[in-house]
Amino acid sequence: MNIYGGLIQFCIWTTVFLTVAFALLVLRRWYTEHRAPVYKARQKAITHSYLRRVQGMEVEQTGVKWSVEARLQALTHLLMLLRGGDRDRLIQLAEIDGLLKAPLRQCKAWRAARRIDAVRTLQQYGGEAAIAKLREVLRHDRHRIVRLNAAFALAGFHQLPPPRETIELIGMPARAPTRLDVAMLRALASEYPTHLVRMLGDVMPHPRRAAIIDALGWSNVESVIPTLERAASFDNIEIRCAALRAVGKLGHPSVAKWVLEALEDPNAFVRIQAVNCCATLRLTKALPVLRVLSHDPELWVRLRAEEAIPRLESLVAERQAKPAMQVAV
Amino acid sequence: MNWDPVQHIAVQLVMYLAYICLIVVVFRNFISVVQLVMAAFIFATRVKPSAVSLDLWHRYGDLALPVSVIVPAFNEELSIVQSVRAILALEYPEHEVIVVNDGSSDRTIQELIDGFDCVPSDRSQIEVLQHTKILGVYQSRKHANLIVIDKENGRKADASNAGIGFARTPLVCVIDADSIIETDGLLRATEPFMYDTGKMVAVGGAIRIANGCEIRAGSLRKIGVSKAWLPRFQIVEYLRAFLTARVANAEGDSLMLISGAFGIFRRSALIEVGGYEHETVAEDLELIVRIHRYMREHKRDYKIGFVPEIVCWTEAPTTWGGLRNQRARWQQGALETLIRHRRMIFNPRYGRIGMLSMPQIVVEDVIGPPAELIGYLVIPAALLLGVMDPTMVILFLCLTVLFGSGLSIGTLALEELQLKRTPSASDLIRVGLAAFVENFGYRQANLFFRFAGIGRHLRKDTSWAAVPREGFDSARDE
Repeated sequence: MNIYGGLIQFCIWTTVFLTVAFALLVLRRWYTEHRAPVYKARQKAITHSYLRRVQGMEVEQTGVKWSVEARLQALTHLLMLLRGGDRDRLIQLAEIDGLLKAPLRQCKAWRAARRIDAVRTLQQYGGEAAIAKLREVLRHDRHRIVRLNAAFALAGFHQLPPPRETIELIGMPARAPTRLDVAMLRALASEYPTHLVRMLGDVMPHPRRAAIIDALGWSNVESVIPTLERAASFDNIEIRCAALRAVGKLGHPSVAKWVLEALEDPNAFVRIQAVNCCATLRLTKALPVLRVLSHDPELWVRLRAEEAIPRLESLVAERQAKPAMQVAV
Repeated sequence: MNWDPVQHIAVQLVMYLAYICLIVVVFRNFISVVQLVMAAFIFATRVKPSAVSLDLWHRYGDLALPVSVIVPAFNEELSIVQSVRAILALEYPEHEVIVVNDGSSDRTIQELIDGFDCVPSDRSQIEVLQHTKILGVYQSRKHANLIVIDKENGRKADASNAGIGFARTPLVCVIDADSIIETDGLLRATEPFMYDTGKMVAVGGAIRIANGCEIRAGSLRKIGVSKAWLPRFQIVEYLRAFLTARVANAEGDSLMLISGAFGIFRRSALIEVGGYEHETVAEDLELIVRIHRYMREHKRDYKIGFVPEIVCWTEAPTTWGGLRNQRARWQQGALETLIRHRRMIFNPRYGRIGMLSMPQIVVEDVIGPPAELIGYLVIPAALLLGVMDPTMVILFLCLTVLFGSGLSIGTLALEELQLKRTPSASDLIRVGLAAFVENFGYRQANLFFRFAGIGRHLRKDTSWAAVPREGFDSARDE
């Protein structure tokens, strides 16, 4: 065969291949479209069947076997709609029917992306088996992002291991904290506030220390306030800022004194956080200093002070108006 | 006179030119194939995106960084209120909208003031990046997160810069006033910032053609495919650009363009590089090249990301005149950017950007168009001179068409298997047909438009060639 013959053959076969590939794509789509009513009816029947079972009613035996995938799809939708006991019963039914076997198996898939898909499916369901598997993934998976997703899922169920272990497992010591790491620490703070406070005694880089101090604000525990007060006088700017963010979140009035002091911090970033904190804590006592800060040499300090002043002034006006109203009544 | 030597030289010249063109064509096609294969691998191995926005919200609702959406508007009186309402209604935990009226000659500013009950505000501009004068700043009384800036006319780059100067959030999203953003587009596009350790400076997202879609009140109601050929050709082009080239480039940390229709940037990075360049007609390309240059010159560890999910829909030109203006502008802008940043080309100081990405733009936008044109001229010349067999010519043309169609069908398959946003089987056929037919006329017309752009660049014509829009109501009625 000469070059012409070869090229002609190539053109013909490429045309055939492209046409067949395109026709298959169209046929696949056409089939899906034509099956749409059947698919809808099936999903409706599955949903109906599970809803009856959730309510403890008998389900008619139709003899039709639904695939695990179809049932998982219907249940994923139902899970978003149900709350409380109904939701728990639905999760139990999913476990009894063995629907979670596939995602549990998929947690050992070769590709990290597939393992993350499985983790996210388990995250939707929860239940004992799912939580046990998520713990296993968090401890033993070879990919950091998969472990991070497992930790994220466990945080949703308040089932994270203690902070020291979690931080190690998600590989936080090896890098700067991401927003997801910050979220994880905040989730840990509500479960393990004392662990986190104890961890601050360790030697660690400033960004991680700052992230832990920031997380303490999400602990809802007053006992961390002295720790935060100490952090507010730390020589690192990031840590001082984190302490102010945390007390802003805690919202406890006992911190007023040192938050007001922070308004005069030599560093502009700390002053910004202090201004934000005053606005969140509704510290009307801060108004005179804030008025001074509205002429601060640093632009962002001025901006934040300008934003905070009207909010606090309206509070003062509100407080003054209340007794006047009471007198009038 | 003996013509044999002349003919011999002509034959030699034609053959050399043919070989050079062939090398350029083969190189460009090779790059496209590599990008398609890379994109297929990336799509196959990626984490599946959340199917519903509720899941995204649940996952990132507490973590998402606040975003300022900058909407530059020029003579948009008919649609601006609805467009801004749709942007205000986007699903995002904390976003403010900054509309910049770029000296419109119609009632755009009045429509905004009346539509959103705006009153003058004393909000100050943090950074002055624009070259024109700010005429007024307004704050909506209905929506606390809406700011309207009125300024003198100065083109989109200037208007965007003015808006960026007023933004106070860590992220800014710059869009076109007529861009239709998916309701969860902001959440999807900011996802890369959640995993970021401070390196991410910008993120782009996939953009699709809105012609043929049902748009009501500035929101996408029903996806459709236009029955007209011109928008369909552009659908194929956008698919190739966003689903293969940009996905592959972003994976290789060499994304060179974030479309002006939708882009999210770290505000501090934008301010640091000085915002958009005013003296170019392709400010979006120039900005990304400048960010690369700045970051590499300052030895910063940075990243520019891309989200392959569709985040935004935009209206494509529906007339040849409009298309000519748009494509000529893109070509002119690419040349301007290349000249402005010429020292980056083949400069190892700029790493893969200097050694690979910039030369690729040179091949695409400087060498590519003349090579393609010479290819079209050389083949008839070679036939006339008798140095090329007609069968060979036909085979060569068949191969070119097959290759072009093959790449498009490959991208279409990727879209169908991964994103599935083509509404129906019949629409799939329409787009598939366009992928084949575009080889006969559309590509050649585009080549002509690119030469128009080269001409504008050589004439130093910096006037803004408008692209007439039909508006989404007419797209709906198709």
